[in-house]
Amino acid sequence: MTVGSQVKGCFSSIKSIEATLQTLAAKTADQEQQTAFKQVEQIISEVKNDLQHQVIQLTKEEPQYK
Amino acid sequence: MPEWIVVVLRSFSLLIILFFMTKWLGKKQISQLNVFEYISGIVLGGIVAIHTIDPNANIVYAFLSMFIWFIVPLCVEYVSLKSKRFRDFTEGKSTVLIQDGKIMEDNLKKEGYSTDDLLEKLRDNNVFLASDVEFAVLEPSGSLSVLPKKENQPLTAKDLGLNVAPEKEPQTVIMDGEMLLEPLANLSLNVNWLETELDKQNVSIENVFLAQADNQGQLYLDLYDDKLAVPSPSEIPLLLATMNKCQADLELFALATENQHSKQLYERNSKKLQQAIDLIRPYLS
Repeated sequence: MTVGSQVKGCFSSIKSIEATLQTLAAKTADQEQQTAFKQVEQIISEVKNDLQHQVIQLTKEEPQYK
Repeated sequence: MPEWIVVVLRSFSLLIILFFMTKWLGKKQISQLNVFEYISGIVLGGIVAIHTIDPNANIVYAFLSMFIWFIVPLCVEYVSLKSKRFRDFTEGKSTVLIQDGKIMEDNLKKEGYSTDDLLEKLRDNNVFLASDVEFAVLEPSGSLSVLPKKENQPLTAKDLGLNVAPEKEPQTVIMDGEMLLEPLANLSLNVNWLETELDKQNVSIENVFLAQADNQGQLYLDLYDDKLAVPSPSEIPLLLATMNKCQADLELFALATENQHSKQLYERNSKKLQQAIDLIRPYLS
């Protein structure tokens, strides 16, 4: 596996984490828990944005593995 | 009228009266009754017993005496609810047997407790060494309540300084294959959600003996058919595992890359992810 595909794999895992957090936040009835989930979701979404840039950059560097 | 019919009729009528009287007198366990309630209970039973098997006894007397033995304890109970002094008088006060780790010999004597009785009561509370006790009080009901010294108390999350998530009671949403709507509404979930969850696990509702949902919306099932394996909810453990994996991956990328800019980016995000994991861990366990 190239670095590019590894980072891509990690990126999609992060996306799945974000989605799971969203469903959990929607399902839970407890206010405190909901706030915690949303807070964590915010952090994960920042990580996701950073990684997205990285993925794009890596694809540019290794166009043959696109 | 033959005597046996009289006995049958009396038995039934007194039985019904006794049932309602004991119901109105409250929901106390036998062990929680004070002496007065205990005695009035026995007397009520005695009155019923005498008048059911003796056809010659006057039934009106039975009703009369039962009424008095019912109404007086009821009044006593009512007044003692309102007045603290009256309550102390009727129900008795608690007696301190151990204070600041020292046994109060005078109080022990006053209650007619021998040292053996005290040790036995302590053992009932899983205390085998009298010096482990900070405070012990003999309740009016006769049971001993024990506060162990701090170092002998069970360890709690508070002692460890752990941050734990609040836990709400789980709700039973299916019983004997029947959907229960009120508990579902308590969790602000609906029938659609339940059907989807059951579909996901490939189970039909008729086959479900018991289903409970916790406040994170996880469904735990027990089926009639015990041969079918039900997967336990995996969403939340999986989430934590994925987060840990991503965090480790990012650290790995940071180590592997030689590009300074990328290295910083991976390191920053790996730290962020670690922070997120620490934040959410109490809620996921």
